[in-house]
Amino acid sequence: MTDALLEVADLAAGYGGEPVLRDVAFTARPGQRIAVLGPNGGGKTTLFRALLGELTPSAGTLERPARIGVVPQTERSRLDFPVSALDVALMGTLSTLPWWRRPSRADRARARQALADVGLAERVDATFGDLSGGQRQRVLVARALVQDAPVLLLDEPYVGLDTPSAALLDRLLLDLAASGRALLIATHDVEQARDWERVLCLNRRQIAFGAPDDVLTRETLALTYGTELVELPAGDRCVLPGHHAHDHGAA
Amino acid sequence: MPAPFDLPFVQRAVVEIVLLAVGSGILGTWIVLRGLSFYAHAVGTAAFPGLVLADGLGFSPLLGALATAGLVAIGVTAIAARGRAEYDSATALVLVGALAAGVILASDVFHSQASVERMLFGSLLVIGSTDQVVAAAVGVAVLLAGALLGRRWLAAGFDRDSARALGARSALPDFVLLALVAACAVAALDAIGALLSTALLVVPAATTRLVVDRLRPWQAATVALVLVEGVAGLWISVEVNAPPGATIAVVGGAVFAATALARGAHLRLGTATS
Repeated sequence: MTDALLEVADLAAGYGGEPVLRDVAFTARPGQRIAVLGPNGGGKTTLFRALLGELTPSAGTLERPARIGVVPQTERSRLDFPVSALDVALMGTLSTLPWWRRPSRADRARARQALADVGLAERVDATFGDLSGGQRQRVLVARALVQDAPVLLLDEPYVGLDTPSAALLDRLLLDLAASGRALLIATHDVEQARDWERVLCLNRRQIAFGAPDDVLTRETLALTYGTELVELPAGDRCVLPGHHAHDHGAA
Repeated sequence: MPAPFDLPFVQRAVVEIVLLAVGSGILGTWIVLRGLSFYAHAVGTAAFPGLVLADGLGFSPLLGALATAGLVAIGVTAIAARGRAEYDSATALVLVGALAAGVILASDVFHSQASVERMLFGSLLVIGSTDQVVAAAVGVAVLLAGALLGRRWLAAGFDRDSARALGARSALPDFVLLALVAACAVAALDAIGALLSTALLVVPAATTRLVVDRLRPWQAATVALVLVEGVAGLWISVEVNAPPGATIAVVGGAVFAATALARGAHLRLGTATS
């Protein structure tokens, strides 16, 4: 299909020895929020690194756009850095400008707009480390917007967010998808994944990929999470103990 | 003007401090930001074998020091790039190798009584015009590289993985940063010595970091502080007949301690009143 932003076929990737992730095949299209589920060590990070071109696949093919945005967990950024929200958003221009060019007035306006788009128009000049976890997360999303990437990889963006911040992020991800981007969102929250367009289950290999209703069955989740999974007494639902399940969407 | 500054050799020393302040002040902020303090300290010291070779074979000590420091920068970049070793581990490996080579060269090959003390602690009062040209050249190179590569140095330090995803490949820009630190440490060698080069390269930037929280003002403040501490240390050293390099280092340390104490008191006061 021609409208795919990302096409992965029979992908295997690892760190030199045996592949730590194999048999990955899926397509990401504009407007899709794709939950990437799997246990710790299940291959989510390996998949993201392969998609970013940091790992060369040992098998399979990967068709990706020139630019892929990444929104890491904010703890991986240096919170003591002397940078403002605007400085961080402007880092997105690194992939669009040649190395000798500095951001122009137009680039700065674009970065301000991106911060406004994620609801941080008032905090443009705030020091990154002084912002709340949810605000920092949105600054990093703004950086990906400035990068103008059609595909965004988000690494457990809901970790540590309170309910209002999580609701804001929900809204933002919906808007990003509606604007024609594809989002791959690593998460441990199975319930949340039910609201999104696609689910990709990994446990050292691809267990399943498809619409949430088709994928999020007891059997698939058991294969994905093994003994980590706890079945709820009422019907078909399962939860993961010990992971940061926030009460998003519960109200 | 106080009496010591009428003396020509003191005036030359002041010019040297002004020239060194640009490079070491701006680089100092990058050193603190990128966690390169140990490297900055080590790269000057690791110039030891180059100085012994220069002394033994009769070529310019500056050339020997620059060449060795350049090799150290290449070595640290290569080791840090290959494995997942941080710059500190890579620096330690290269430093040990360089010092061992220097000791063997000095004791077993050239039997040199090379002016080790001068190299280790500098001699700001016998600065020549070559030293000033080198200090000026390093200052210009730092300004230029900072303007062109500063955004990449910042992005790589902020979050290395994302910087790569943003297309800011950091290997070459980071090598330029390490090479500039090496060049600046060598430029400061004659003035303040290998063991004390961090008094210009690290201590002032660490001091101003306590009170400034944006990059550009931090850099400007650090250049100014290097200048003030350098000239004040020089003046005191002439007045009390103490070695200038060590005096500048003591002034730097004292200003850092006073700033840290004042900031601590200010923060405690703020907490108490809020």
